[in-house]
Amino acid sequence: MNTPPHESGEKHVTGEAVYIDDIPVNAQLLAGRVVYSPHAHARIVSFDLSQAKKVLGVHAVLCHKDIPGHNQMGPVVKDEPCLAMDEVVCIGQAVFLIAAETEEQCLEAEKKIKIKYELLEPILTLEKAIEKNNLLGPPRTMHRGDAEAALKSSPHTIKGVLRTGAQEHWYLETQICLCVPGEGKEINVFSSTQHPSETQALIAGVLGVGKHDVVVEVRRMGGAFGGKETQGNHAACWSALLCNATKRPVKVRLFRDDDQKMTGKRHRILAKYEVGFDDDGMLNAFKVEVNSDAGCATDLSFAILERTMLHTDNCYYVPNFSILARAWKTNLPSNTAFRGFGGPQGMAIAETAVDRVARFLKKDAAEIRHKNFYGIESRNVTQYGQTVENNRLFLLYDQLMKSSEYSRRKREVNEFNAANEFQKKGLAITPVKFGISFTTTYLNQAGALVNVYKDGTILVNHGGTEMGQGLHTKIHQIAAAEFGVSLDKVKVNATNTSKVPNTSPTAASAGADLNGMAVKNAIDTLKSRIATAMVQIFLDENPDIPSLHNSIVFKDDWIIDSDHPERKILFSDAMPLMNLRQVSLSATGFYKTPNIEWDKKKSWGRPFNYYAFGMCVSEVMIDVLTGQHTLLRTDILHDVGDSLNPAIDMGQVEGGYIQGVGWCTTEEIKWDDKGNLLTHSPDTYKIPSVQDIPKDFRVELLQGVPNPNAIRKSKAVAEPPLMLALSTWLAIKDAISAVADHELEPEFALPATNEVILLSIENLKARMRSSDGEAVLKAPLTAKTSRSKT
Amino acid sequence: MIPEISFVLDGSIVTIDFTKPSSRGPTTTVLNYLRSLPGHKGVKEGCAEGDCGACTVVLGELVGNKSIRYKSADSCLLFLPMIHGRQLITVENLKDPSGELHPVQSAMVESSGSQCGFCTPGIVMSLFSLYKSTDHPTRLQIDDALTGNLCRCTGYKPIIEAAAHACVHKGLDHLSRDYSRIVGLLKSIPQAPIHIKTKLQSYFKPTSLSAVFSHRRQHPDAVIVSGATDVALRVTKKHELIPEIIDLSDIAELKAITNTATTLTIGAGVTLTEAMPRIEHDFPALYKMLSVFGSQQIRNLATFGGNLGSASPIGDALPVLMAYGAKVVLKRPNGKRDVSLDDYFLGYRKTARAANELITAIVIPKLKNGAAVRSYKISKRKDLDISTLSGGFRLDAKNSGTVKNIVLAYGGMAERTKRATTAEQFLVGKQWNRQTVERAMPLIDKDFTPISDARAGAEFRKVAARNLLLKFWTDTVMNE
Ligand SMILES: Cc1cc2nc3c(=O)[nH]c(=O)nc-3n(C[C@H](O)[C@H](O)[C@H](O)COP(=O)(O)OP(=O)(O)OC[C@H]3O[C@@H](n4cnc5c(N)ncnc54)[C@H](O)[C@@H]3O)c2cc1C
Ligand code: FES
Ligand code: FES
Repeated sequence: MNTPPHESGEKHVTGEAVYIDDIPVNAQLLAGRVVYSPHAHARIVSFDLSQAKKVLGVHAVLCHKDIPGHNQMGPVVKDEPCLAMDEVVCIGQAVFLIAAETEEQCLEAEKKIKIKYELLEPILTLEKAIEKNNLLGPPRTMHRGDAEAALKSSPHTIKGVLRTGAQEHWYLETQICLCVPGEGKEINVFSSTQHPSETQALIAGVLGVGKHDVVVEVRRMGGAFGGKETQGNHAACWSALLCNATKRPVKVRLFRDDDQKMTGKRHRILAKYEVGFDDDGMLNAFKVEVNSDAGCATDLSFAILERTMLHTDNCYYVPNFSILARAWKTNLPSNTAFRGFGGPQGMAIAETAVDRVARFLKKDAAEIRHKNFYGIESRNVTQYGQTVENNRLFLLYDQLMKSSEYSRRKREVNEFNAANEFQKKGLAITPVKFGISFTTTYLNQAGALVNVYKDGTILVNHGGTEMGQGLHTKIHQIAAAEFGVSLDKVKVNATNTSKVPNTSPTAASAGADLNGMAVKNAIDTLKSRIATAMVQIFLDENPDIPSLHNSIVFKDDWIIDSDHPERKILFSDAMPLMNLRQVSLSATGFYKTPNIEWDKKKSWGRPFNYYAFGMCVSEVMIDVLTGQHTLLRTDILHDVGDSLNPAIDMGQVEGGYIQGVGWCTTEEIKWDDKGNLLTHSPDTYKIPSVQDIPKDFRVELLQGVPNPNAIRKSKAVAEPPLMLALSTWLAIKDAISAVADHELEPEFALPATNEVILLSIENLKARMRSSDGEAVLKAPLTAKTSRSKT
Repeated sequence: MIPEISFVLDGSIVTIDFTKPSSRGPTTTVLNYLRSLPGHKGVKEGCAEGDCGACTVVLGELVGNKSIRYKSADSCLLFLPMIHGRQLITVENLKDPSGELHPVQSAMVESSGSQCGFCTPGIVMSLFSLYKSTDHPTRLQIDDALTGNLCRCTGYKPIIEAAAHACVHKGLDHLSRDYSRIVGLLKSIPQAPIHIKTKLQSYFKPTSLSAVFSHRRQHPDAVIVSGATDVALRVTKKHELIPEIIDLSDIAELKAITNTATTLTIGAGVTLTEAMPRIEHDFPALYKMLSVFGSQQIRNLATFGGNLGSASPIGDALPVLMAYGAKVVLKRPNGKRDVSLDDYFLGYRKTARAANELITAIVIPKLKNGAAVRSYKISKRKDLDISTLSGGFRLDAKNSGTVKNIVLAYGGMAERTKRATTAEQFLVGKQWNRQTVERAMPLIDKDFTPISDARAGAEFRKVAARNLLLKFWTDTVMNE
């Protein structure tokens, strides 16, 4: 397949690409504003909206009583009121809605709202939630073998605690939705959502109308990363309510700070682990307890927690495995999907354990990793029963160790560290194995509607949404290739619920896999119909030797009988004939992923269609006196099967990795003791800038590895590369560890901000200095003493 | 005095008369103005506070009445009157009239420099300003041009490649063909004082200091702005309506840079970008600080007067200026005085400046032989971040190696820029070696009780502040 640039590339660079805030609307348009709770936990005693309603230009001020349908926008579990009723459970929870002619008038009206709260005690930390036993739902477990017994019999064990931080999506386009009233109950919704069908369903719910009255359209999103999988629905429900109340177009667009304060983040976790291993570093037992901060409502927290459990092995075979995972409820905005969907947290636990094993044994962590990789023939079944097929780990490892010159650089890093007191370098390699499929099995379906017009142009509709990942570009290529026509004959339409109904979210990296197959399915139907007609047409011309249906091929803009190549017609010339012959040129397509089954109760089965693999070597330098780090070099080798579009896939790998670097280093989320988000704007919340990428950044796609399980032998790419950044995180730890000559286990957390780095170094220095240096030195490393120190 | 503003947009002069009843207020940002027009939706709002660059536009400014200097700016921080007399260039203006993409645009498409595309118009404009200013840019120059633009999708690599590919035509493009006509248009816009009065607001943009003083007599509460990179946030983030503004950005007297054998005097209205080349040689520590100050878009607007005027405890220029022994020049209607920075900061955003005084310049003495000055900025992200803490240090040592005089000025450690006097006093007269430095380090704690905030905890600040002294020592002995 030829690989065109992003289908919207030219529109992006000229500013012509239309985002929701750019859609021309008539002068009737009203600005919508959400008034939210300033308290993490409180009872609403009373409120008075009368003065606010009187503000010039204000057309509606709504409270929960004004909702005509269900006051609910929880995507799975119905525990998220659209507007608070008698209690607020986080800062940022919507309480009232305002529609006015300008944003200023909205703000003016907001000041005139009177509301009395009675403050209740909030739960703002995981520790507090655990102490109060504030579970979101029943704990989940996953077992293989007997981890408890195996730990007892292991020659060595290490116990530890790991915290990983929350992460803000920081899509450039904040949450936004424009609703335009139609006739009667109809409403047209332009929403920045990854899940138009759910947006449609929730709007129908809050308005109390049928889904057939609600049309949701998504041309493109200005970034999403999971943050608009469920929470794009919120702005949509709010603007729909205001639109319905005023019968005028209403746009709700969150200001950046409001977006950061109101929306959920990547789940922070508090994990406890214990790993058992032998003198060679072979892992024998892994016991993990995961505590995840769900925030104030369910959202997707259980599915996310499940994926954490499914990735605590990362790439390592551990015969005895036990995981206990719990989601806890706190008074923070409900945490939600974010690229990796719980996987990053799981892998961080695995990689931390392996890293510690290596330091304990004074071996290179690369060696320990390699030793414990899932095997090809044996040792290849995960802790949840799925066999790791088409394992690319050894291929990746061998190629990357060589191309990154790991061994030589490892030596140089050691030499550098021996010679420098105030700067230390660190080097680490980490692998990624990421399961592709929704673990909520039924979501693995997709639909498409393909129309061919009489002039031979083709309009493709599918259920996936474009958020920058290049899905439409890939679908465009797939459709053109399947029809054997040039790219300019095909257009991919904006995603629209009236074209393709009942779709799954564009998530789980599965957009191209699922929708590509559905589009292919529709095209196969059309090609079959067209071929049937072509057999007739060719028969009319050659009554003696009929063409065979199976021999009709679509190639280079022609329809050809491959047995009689002289029988051919231009695709565009054939279509008017189809119309004359009453052939339907519109077909739907459908696809569901085969061969997956998952028993949630037993945590056992084959939840994934296949795995995506990748590997990364990072080298960093830290300033021992300030804690600041520099990313010197990163080498990535990533497996995307036979790439549908290498430029787009490279972009996903690089961008995903850098987003992961943000999660692992500078992106720190802090709340105060009242539950106020302190890092609520880009002033204090720092995503990577151009200067934070590796000084030397080498990215390659693994070649010659077709994937038998997906469209055109490709592989999903969106999420897995994010976790490559764990190598950067552990390279930083390696550099810190060099301060104590790798003799002591450094304190460490994720993200490794300059604060974490510097204080960890201070702690090492103090332990090196301390009078009972010996004891301190041994404590975290010695097997038996470490048992009591959790 | 004119009640309206004029600028060049889409190749012709646009005039905005703020007194029309339907009109917007003078603190409308250029971003909001552009987005209200049908043909300029390319400019995007990502944050409304100068941190993301999605709103980047390029301003063309007349230099010496015959050429145009292009500089990038965050349109979310620009009040409309600030672009009076300038050419406003947006992403919609880059395509050749024939429909061909601008070299920076085609390079971005070819390198797959856009994914979701929301950051892209801003990035394209930053690349355009680089294209116009720098042929065959180095990686450093590319990075610097892009530091003010956040992209959450790409990881920047293809954008850097696009910059390197595109910027090889000596800045020539279709705008070059229209150059002299635009120069003519810009010249035709009168550079007279502007005074916009609406029902709610007064915006005064004079061209002389005396006009400022006389205006302030009637409007003592008017808010002064220079580059407005601080003040604009009150409008864009806090949604304040500022009733009275005096904008100093057109006052030539405040834009002078005077270099003598012993001092460099920088006018309060000089932007950091303008000052940097004049600072680089004699004041490398200040230069180093300014090169990690905000982003190019910010430095193109931000002034020394603004940094000193805010007197923020984390103002980046302040500790290092203190280390250089700089003095602020304060003018009042009938006099002026120089105040040493040591005496200038009184408390949290409180200074020795009297209500009727204006900052007109900063005077920086050149170093005498043997003195060493260094600056340090510690922030969560290395670039485009506010300091968690910062240091401006100076050492005057005797030949014998003993400390004659030392300045340890810190930002972010107290409610104002403040010196570690206990440690300084301890060090004076002692040998400048590691041992004494390590003995002085704990003394830094005596002068500071730092706070914990969004950027870092108090403990981190304490440790880092101590360590900076050791770092300073290593830098002085290693002769950086
Ligand atoms: C995205 C972003 C990044 C930033 N990064 C940094 C950074 O890295 N380091 C840093 O230190 N700051 C930073 N700042 C803050 C700001 O840019 C600086 O403080 C800058 O120097 C302010 O200059 P200005 O001319 O824009 O000030 P203005 O906003 O115009 O004014 C600031 C204050 O000074 C007063 N003032 C201005 N001129 C005078 C005068 N002549 N006489 C008396 N008072 C006066 C004003 O009344 C006002 O109170 C950043 C700001 C933004 C938005
Ligand atoms: S909108 Fe982010 S810098 Fe202007
Ligand atoms: S392309 Fe999406 S933010 Fe840059």
